[in-house]
Amino acid sequence: VKKLLGVTLGILTAIGGFVDIGDLVTNALVGSRFGLRLAWIVVLGVIGICVYAEMSGRVVAISGRPVFDLIRERLGRRTGLFALIASFLVTLLTLIAEIGGVALAFELASGVNYLLWMPLAAFAVWLVIWRVKFSSLETVFGLLGLLLIVFAVALWKLSPDWGQLLNQATNPHPTGHESWATYAYYAIALFGAAMTPYEVFFFSSGGVEEKWTSKDLVTTRSNVFIGFPLGGLLSLSIAACAAVLYLPAGIKVDTLGQVTLPTAVALGKVGLAIVLIGVFAATFGAALETALSCGYTIGQYFGWQWGKFVRPREASRFHVVMMICLALSILTLLTAVDPVKVTEYSVVFAAMALPLTYLPILIIANDPDYMGDHKNGAVLNFVALIYLGLLLVASIAAIPLMIITRAGQ
Amino acid sequence: MTMSGRVLHAQLHLLDRQLIDHQTGRLLGKVDDVELDMEADPPQLTALISGRVRIPAVRITEIDTAIKITPHDLDLREGDDWIEQHIIDKIPGAGNAPK
Repeated sequence: VKKLLGVTLGILTAIGGFVDIGDLVTNALVGSRFGLRLAWIVVLGVIGICVYAEMSGRVVAISGRPVFDLIRERLGRRTGLFALIASFLVTLLTLIAEIGGVALAFELASGVNYLLWMPLAAFAVWLVIWRVKFSSLETVFGLLGLLLIVFAVALWKLSPDWGQLLNQATNPHPTGHESWATYAYYAIALFGAAMTPYEVFFFSSGGVEEKWTSKDLVTTRSNVFIGFPLGGLLSLSIAACAAVLYLPAGIKVDTLGQVTLPTAVALGKVGLAIVLIGVFAATFGAALETALSCGYTIGQYFGWQWGKFVRPREASRFHVVMMICLALSILTLLTAVDPVKVTEYSVVFAAMALPLTYLPILIIANDPDYMGDHKNGAVLNFVALIYLGLLLVASIAAIPLMIITRAGQ
Repeated sequence: MTMSGRVLHAQLHLLDRQLIDHQTGRLLGKVDDVELDMEADPPQLTALISGRVRIPAVRITEIDTAIKITPHDLDLREGDDWIEQHIIDKIPGAGNAPK
């Protein structure tokens, strides 16, 4: 348990990447349409985010500089501003979706329409950011989010045909009336979600909040290598549950209720109760991650005092940015836009933000001025370059595929 | 100045770096531009520019992955102070450390 408490930053970060509201639905949708035939992309994504999160954590531990400091420094003011706008929009759109997601979780539990819960959800997120210590919020929401492991238990209880699931996982291509274009669209959506830029913003800034130094390199690494694989596991369990329950029946998942249903089928009311707490914690945790990341990126780009390690009045611009973002979330959701659909549009900005986020991390992780003896080795650089190539391909293909498939329909 | 004699690459070591208060550790902005004395040989750094504020080179105490300075009377937190007085301080708990 003590070891688990030390890695909650990694777990909470991974929750925002793998099981936030958009991913919860996307994972189940992919499972219901493709079975586990896209499972490989989740594994690929886990490795990619581990590679770059480890680098960003190491840079923070050695030099004290979080990711957006690096982006501004290596890309300069102008390109840096472009990167800021793209990644800020991804993060803000995700925040909007998460606030809706928290409210949807309450709607599922109470039957009261989510639009009524939504202002309350946004206020609660603000209150936690305003008053709760970073280490407490990371521990509480990181651990509660792990309740989503109930999907893995449900999968086992459903006693599926394991051979068939394995067969799907080892046959990575679309079947039935699914086309290669939709298959590729969801592959990119899952890959982009696994490596979404706010994960490294949050993780590296969290390292500063936790005051990591070169003595904490082991902590950094265990956060990375436990947190993100756990996120990937949750993501695969959700897809597998949907593959077992919905794929044979030909039902396409598109609501949060359908996502949670397999746990109720397998484990009854207890399963449903646990999954609802898990969904609440995951969406609320992702809301905290994205709200804070909005403040972190803007604060770090302009060099303002940021962070929860100082009193709010000492980082007033940082706090005002987050309040404005939460207010914008409420206003956007009041238009009754589907929160899950909002994350789909964030793919467009993610395509622009991804290479611009990860290239500066790779450059600085090789800079002896920053890293001294702790710079990247040759093997790591090789793998990191392959991922940079993959991100570039995904970036270029994302928008055309979105148009061709009408966002995966 | 202990920095004398060190060869710096303005683009690589100065521009867009984080400015930090040497005493308090507070974050004070980015280096937006540098001012050089081109008469000297080699050219010497005379000041850093952050926003509208000119930071004379004598205020620099350390150049590393961030640049530490002694701000004294330099007004580098003007924007933050304005928002603090007009918005943040009006909300309960603004001066409390989070629990």
